[in-house]
Amino acid sequence: MIGHDRLFSELQRLLKRSDADATSICAQTSRRRVMRFAYDAIHQDLVQESITVHFKVIRDKRVGVAATDTLDRTSLHRALHAALEIAGHAPPMKHLAALPGRFDLITSQDYTAETINIPAIDIVRMVKRLFQLAKGAGAQLAGSHVVGDDERAVVNSNGVRCYAASTVAGAKLVAMYRKLSGYGSVASRQLDGLDVDGLLERALKQCLVRHDPVTLPTGEYEVLLEPEAIAELIMWMGYIAFGAKSFQEHTSCFAGRLGEKIVGREVTIVDDGNDPSLLRMPFDFEGVPKQRVTLIDRGVAANIVYDTAYGALYGQPSTGHGLPPDEIDGPAPSHMLMQPGSKTRAELIRSCKRGLLIPRFHYVSGLLNPREALMTGLTREGAFLIEDGKLTRPLATMRFTQSLLEALQHVRGISKERQLVADPAQDFGCAVMPTVHLARFRFTGRSQ
Amino acid sequence: MPTPRLPRGLIDPLVGQLGRRGVDYADIRCERLSHENIVVENRTVKTISLLESAGVGVRVLIGGSWGFACTPDVTAAGLKRAASEAIAIAKASALINRKPLKLAPCDPVRATHRSTWAVDPFEVPLAKKLDYLMWANTELLGPNPIQRATSHMDFYRRRTYFASTEGSRIEQEFLESGAGLEVIAQHGDEVQVRSYPNSHHGALAQAGFEYVKQLDLVGGAKRIQTEVLHLLGAPAPKAGLTTIILDPTQVVMQLHESCGHPAELDRVLGQELSYAGGSFLTTDRLNNFRYGSDHVNIVADATLTGGLGSFAYDDEGVAAQRVDLVREGQFVGYLSSRECAAKLGLPRSSGAMRAERWDAPPLVRMTNVNLEPGSATLDELMRDVKHGYLLSTNKSWSIDDRRLNFQFTTEIAREITNGRRGRIVKNPLYTGITPEFWGRCTGTSNRDTWQLWGVPNCAKGEPMQLMHVGHGAPYARFDGVQIAPAT
Repeated sequence: MIGHDRLFSELQRLLKRSDADATSICAQTSRRRVMRFAYDAIHQDLVQESITVHFKVIRDKRVGVAATDTLDRTSLHRALHAALEIAGHAPPMKHLAALPGRFDLITSQDYTAETINIPAIDIVRMVKRLFQLAKGAGAQLAGSHVVGDDERAVVNSNGVRCYAASTVAGAKLVAMYRKLSGYGSVASRQLDGLDVDGLLERALKQCLVRHDPVTLPTGEYEVLLEPEAIAELIMWMGYIAFGAKSFQEHTSCFAGRLGEKIVGREVTIVDDGNDPSLLRMPFDFEGVPKQRVTLIDRGVAANIVYDTAYGALYGQPSTGHGLPPDEIDGPAPSHMLMQPGSKTRAELIRSCKRGLLIPRFHYVSGLLNPREALMTGLTREGAFLIEDGKLTRPLATMRFTQSLLEALQHVRGISKERQLVADPAQDFGCAVMPTVHLARFRFTGRSQ
Repeated sequence: MPTPRLPRGLIDPLVGQLGRRGVDYADIRCERLSHENIVVENRTVKTISLLESAGVGVRVLIGGSWGFACTPDVTAAGLKRAASEAIAIAKASALINRKPLKLAPCDPVRATHRSTWAVDPFEVPLAKKLDYLMWANTELLGPNPIQRATSHMDFYRRRTYFASTEGSRIEQEFLESGAGLEVIAQHGDEVQVRSYPNSHHGALAQAGFEYVKQLDLVGGAKRIQTEVLHLLGAPAPKAGLTTIILDPTQVVMQLHESCGHPAELDRVLGQELSYAGGSFLTTDRLNNFRYGSDHVNIVADATLTGGLGSFAYDDEGVAAQRVDLVREGQFVGYLSSRECAAKLGLPRSSGAMRAERWDAPPLVRMTNVNLEPGSATLDELMRDVKHGYLLSTNKSWSIDDRRLNFQFTTEIAREITNGRRGRIVKNPLYTGITPEFWGRCTGTSNRDTWQLWGVPNCAKGEPMQLMHVGHGAPYARFDGVQIAPAT
């Protein structure tokens, strides 16, 4: 970790050095220790350190952006110079939003030194124990383990000066027994928040089954989408529907429908970068504090998210969803929560006469027809057939092709329990989701 | 601005020290990268950006364990710290990895290599690039239904220096140039998109600015504007089994997902099980499995000029090769690394270890995975098709974790009736099972129609690495394929 003193010192020095009308500098550092293992061996173990410093300068309504991946002063000066040079040659912008105004924050509330400083040998010992437990149960194991830390610092010539440091830890396990696999994943801000034994138990439970996988005919099925499965679909909605750019371009299924009921009234989704149950981040890459935004309110399309540029276009303040200045996809939610329901997961399963329990999806695409939120993807490990309220047989891989809007119009129930879904090896986007029971979900293909 | 030199003077002594510290093997890779990206949207400059990056990755093998660490601090102290960290990691893993790990042999070399270009795009004035993008952008705009018109250019420079304890010293430089267009039109609830010359990042090749000039963005803009407006009122395809012809832009994605990834030997050996998945091309199927029809010949060719997967040596110092993956429909080869090749008892690596940047370890990746041309013209492929579709430009892609069940949509299709191309069709979707689908390949077009495309966003690994890979393809015909409207 570099620390706010050094980061601010470097960035403020660069701010003074810029002779542009306005300058914004954002630094993002990341350190990840990622171990991957399979079949009684660790096949990858690495420490990855990175830093990216983005410069955005405005001169005579002309914008220049440059970035460098080091804190070396010569490189920083080259990058600032490049941004100024680009602004010098760029055409003036017709509509140019001002840089955000004063915001002062330093926080390390989600940083725990014990997480990032765990000795390598301790992680290896933990993996060795998991291998032994899996072997004892007659299964084989693959997976990954991650610890890391992140820092984000933003300064600008309008008085923004903010910094946040955090740690992250996570694990994924795939247990394999005969033709079956089971899966579990967990993420937390703290290493001691990872229940790897519970994870292994879950993965083993999914694969240590007497039955071979059953291949079902294609068609509509009742489904229980567990947190990781529903999170992937909702995160696709974040990309194709909840941001101001897709809204403006009318590709979003929200465009022209704000205020209309678009899904079942059981569904409320908010984005809240300050919620402690998520991997929270209190401000965006422009240095704007994150606002809590209700995206779907009891089934009604309620709001979209903005950065400063799209906020100015719509006469709205930024909601704190700006991306780095060289990104062109527009603002996007990255901390979504679905409101919990009143039943337990077990009650949802018991209430299902015949349906499919799906822990996660594989390779979902939301690009088929974004206006209808039409998506496709596949089941993977741990999917089971539910018959008369009980999990009876594991499922062979099935493909769905389904409009998410249509599916969420027929909600049978939402669980009380929710789970954080995140990939700690990557650094963007997380969600807290319940299990969602849907009356109809269209399966269009099989792998066997 | 001149690019600083690579610090060979720091790296060579360090790799020598690693050899003396008792590692079984080590390599050090230093890289300097530049990426210029210019995007114009609706006649407004959306971004002009330059990213510069430099750093060093150190990979060591001790006993049966790898350790990798990296640093952007390209000083003697920074490199030493990274090396110590890599050693500590590898030693810790020895608690589990008790068996020594063998690497397939690789002759040490001292070499330099530079990809081919005529005009360095980083030397071309920004105003000239912007003028060209604005011109193309203006051609895309106009009629009311057009919601967004985007024109963009990307230029990459990658300079690497590789040194190994086996004595290799390899310096390589690659320059990539590309450009593209995308237009979105909307009328009521109907939204359509068209891209040129290809979707998802346009066209990108190992070449200079001359490649961008050859793309004829202005001519392409007029064509896709007409097509996207047609698509708003076009019919969707009829669902059912039919003949489809994929144009090279879509064969690229079909190759990538259903041949390139399953042929990666690290996937086959289980090293991606917790993330990307496994592969149906299991080791018992090598030289013993019908992947497709006799028309299907697929190679991984890193020696091809201009491909995004071209190089002289991969990121563990293995010389570039042209390797058969599928020959006359039979599965005959893998993409591999020295470690994976040794595990399978292969005589050598196929030279497919590649890293996205200095801060990532190399993984088994695609090079240029190409479908070889046949002998037919496109008209000959269509001649006896009573009813079918010609599908162009990928829109969405999805495939299962063993790379069997796939589903693609394309931006546009043309109906084929009695051997002739007819009306435009919107929202085409086709799906299948990989070996069954390639088994239905009834012809590929000739060398004159063969096209080489770049895919700059091939995702794999934890942490995820985005690799630049290439695919060459002709038109390809498939009979009895399930097609449906994506609605």
